[in-house]
Amino acid sequence: MNKLRITSITSVAVMLLSLTGLAISPAGAAVDRTGKTCVQEGRVVNSGGVTYTCAYTKSGLVYSQGRKLSGSLTVVCGAMENWCAAMTKAFTKKTGVETKFVRLSSGETVARLNAAKANPEFGVWHGGPADGFGVARLDGLIEKYESPTRHMIPAKYQDTDGYWTGVYVGALGFCSNKKELARLGVPVPKSWADLLNPKLKGQISSAHPSTSGTAFTTLWTQVTRLGGVEPGMAYMKKLHNNILQYTKSGTAPGQIAGRGEVAVGIIFSHDCVAYREQGLPLTVSFPSEGTGYEIGGVALVKGAKNPEAAKAYIDFTLSAEAQNLGPTVASYQVLTNPRAKLDRRMVTLKKLTIVDYDFGKASAAKKALTTRFDAEIAVAPKV
Amino acid sequence: MKLDLITRIVLVCTIAVLALLIIFPLTNILITATHENGRAVFSSIFSSPVTRQIIKNTVLLGSTVGVLGTLIGFLLAYAQTRLEFRGKKILHIISLIPLISPPFAFATAVIVLFGRSGIITRDLLGLSPVLYGYPGLVIVLTTSFFPVAYMNLLGMMRSLDPSLDEAAASLGSSKSKVFVKITFPMLIPGIASSFLLLFVESIADLANPLVIGGDFTVLSSRAYIAINGEYDVAAGAAYSVVLLVPGLLVFLLQRYWAQRKNVVSVTGKPSGRVRNIESKGAKFFLLSIPFAMSSLIIMVYVTVLIGGFVKVLGVNNEFTLDHFSYIFSGIGNDAIIKTTLLALIATPIAGILGMILAWLIVRKIRRGRELMDFLGMLGIAVPGTVLGIGYAVTFNHTTKLGEFSLIPQLAGGGAIFGGALAIIMVYTIRSSPAGQRSGIAALQQIDPAIDEASASLGASGVVTFKKVTLPLIRGALLTGLMFAFARSMTTLSPIIFITTPDTPIMTSKILSEVDAGRFGNAFAFCTILIVLVSLAMSAINLLVRGRSIESLSNPLN
Repeated sequence: MNKLRITSITSVAVMLLSLTGLAISPAGAAVDRTGKTCVQEGRVVNSGGVTYTCAYTKSGLVYSQGRKLSGSLTVVCGAMENWCAAMTKAFTKKTGVETKFVRLSSGETVARLNAAKANPEFGVWHGGPADGFGVARLDGLIEKYESPTRHMIPAKYQDTDGYWTGVYVGALGFCSNKKELARLGVPVPKSWADLLNPKLKGQISSAHPSTSGTAFTTLWTQVTRLGGVEPGMAYMKKLHNNILQYTKSGTAPGQIAGRGEVAVGIIFSHDCVAYREQGLPLTVSFPSEGTGYEIGGVALVKGAKNPEAAKAYIDFTLSAEAQNLGPTVASYQVLTNPRAKLDRRMVTLKKLTIVDYDFGKASAAKKALTTRFDAEIAVAPKV
Repeated sequence: MKLDLITRIVLVCTIAVLALLIIFPLTNILITATHENGRAVFSSIFSSPVTRQIIKNTVLLGSTVGVLGTLIGFLLAYAQTRLEFRGKKILHIISLIPLISPPFAFATAVIVLFGRSGIITRDLLGLSPVLYGYPGLVIVLTTSFFPVAYMNLLGMMRSLDPSLDEAAASLGSSKSKVFVKITFPMLIPGIASSFLLLFVESIADLANPLVIGGDFTVLSSRAYIAINGEYDVAAGAAYSVVLLVPGLLVFLLQRYWAQRKNVVSVTGKPSGRVRNIESKGAKFFLLSIPFAMSSLIIMVYVTVLIGGFVKVLGVNNEFTLDHFSYIFSGIGNDAIIKTTLLALIATPIAGILGMILAWLIVRKIRRGRELMDFLGMLGIAVPGTVLGIGYAVTFNHTTKLGEFSLIPQLAGGGAIFGGALAIIMVYTIRSSPAGQRSGIAALQQIDPAIDEASASLGASGVVTFKKVTLPLIRGALLTGLMFAFARSMTTLSPIIFITTPDTPIMTSKILSEVDAGRFGNAFAFCTILIVLVSLAMSAINLLVRGRSIESLSNPLN
């Protein structure tokens, strides 16, 4: 009996020793895997405490630059709660870096990053809008980081100077309540002109362009497609007659339409799809004259406490593997990585007419346009 | 008046606490308001009709809610103390329910019921009113805030000395004359303080203007827009400074008015018995508004409750337990436990702070009492967004005085306790004002001769406070505590700027669910929150009342 125990203890000890030996031996001969070919995107190998991730870099599917990952990471996330949760959880699982998030709107993020400039609490800003990154860059809140997988992303979905990179794209669309449209005897709107139908008076909901990036996209889309500020504002003025009220939040018009308070809400189509999936009687359509879009991006926070982990997280968000998590948590934005899977609930951008949206120009014009909107349109009587 | 040592120490500590909780963070944010963009806001008051309209809207909203809420609170309190009718106790409980109004729930339920395609308006009455804007805001804010006025006035009316009424009646005055000449003047401090509280609260409220405000922009939502939509903290801070002005004016007015008409009614001398109104017509008239109000409250809360158990309320009313299982399966548990814990810590601090402030203001300090009162009220007078940013700017790093670390980092991810202290601080400063106001109203009614008697028998200021004053204002303290807990559990806007991954807060989870269009989950969350707060309120009620020697002005009697 005793003998048996001793034998078992010895064998366990031997096993343990051999295990440590196994763990130690690669460290003794740590191999730099950078640039070595690999077979499956997203696969992670650890060699000598350095993590190498298999990624599509400029030289094909290879292990990208190794990183010594440790500690924890806090992400400030601008997308839907479960999207943020899925992304951070997957990253933790992959790398062992304990990753948490706080969900904030872009204005709140900029305010908080500014408040804690000297002592940043976040490492990465994930899911923020292009204009938010623009402001953050001007305020010196984000840092340039060009991920090895960045070249995969179409150039128009990323900052030319490398401050941020797009992870998803959302197209502006019409979110209509079928029941209300039927009640009013109006067909599903297919163009910006359709929205001016007098039968839709007080039946359209849009957010206010000062409060909501969505609504500003609507405004700038008019300016772009009609070829100038004046005709753009003129359209908004006509549309004003049919607007019930301007909401503060960008997604609210979809919910208001869903509850039948209005017939049509102007929002990003993926939000409308998400509401429809929740059981609201909604249908999505797009304007034939052309529509605008938003980019949700990812950026490195300046002075991030754990820059290696933050950079690894950004690399991860650009991979098809990470982006494919979107539809699993009811986020149906178009993914920027061309290798990411297309979900049938996503819109195919190629099938839409997209206006030539200039984010730089739009940001520069924002203040003047929203002030004019406030003074000339929002207060105008409805005719 | 010379203050004894202990009172002085209490005074200094109180000022230090206020400095830390509100003066310091607000000063930091106000400095921001003097930046270029902030100054542009100030000059726009004179130059821009848009800004002027916003200010007008704010004052209009605050005054309407202040008047209506105080009136409803008064009628309910009057019914409780001067009328006999069936369902009195139930009416009382229903009147307290709106103290627990989670952000969004109330406004959404009102839209579901009374909106353009509302269950009652369209389906039953065939109407399609547009609630977004001023009418919706008035309904929602009045209903959510009137209970504070009610509790305030109820406490006072319970402690009014009926012998004065009796004397007047025996001298041949009619009931209405007794009311106008005797009862009403004695209630003026309570009415004035209720109006002030409702005015200030409704103009600083943010969640409701965002959900149901529509085009009707007020200063608090304008400040939010500046920060959230325009990335302009300076302008946001400037709008908040403008917001303080009407609050300050109303504050000074009510002080002036209430002070002149101050009537002491708790004298420690024996008093008579209240004589109730018997006339059927008068009863019907006086009870119509309270009963209409309580029906509205019931409808709204039943809507919230049902909303958590059906797929999409008003759209697909199929029964489901999915929402609750979603919350309890992961995302909710942590938030529920941590939010409750933080609120439980903040509640006694806020309640006691409010009472001490009231005591110092009414009894102890002469010079600077207005200032002290105002500082104590600042926590609810500034919009939550601005308070939150003030906290983020101030407490996100160690505050140093030269080489010496004065205050450690309290807010943000890297702070001690994962940033929980800053949240407790915000809860405290946002919920102590209600206790302060009801404490002041209660103390103003109590004859200082009682205190003086105690002092002349050799008791120190603190002993007098503990043995004499506190038992007399127990009702006010109870109001303060219950309100503090409810308030903490439902605070949203300042929390956004200081929440960390370690401190998940229920209200911000509710907001996430609303954003994602998962109303069922949001309603279920609200139901859980309402249940938790009701339980805690009952516990506080039992605890405070249980220790009471004689609950003279206890509103829950």
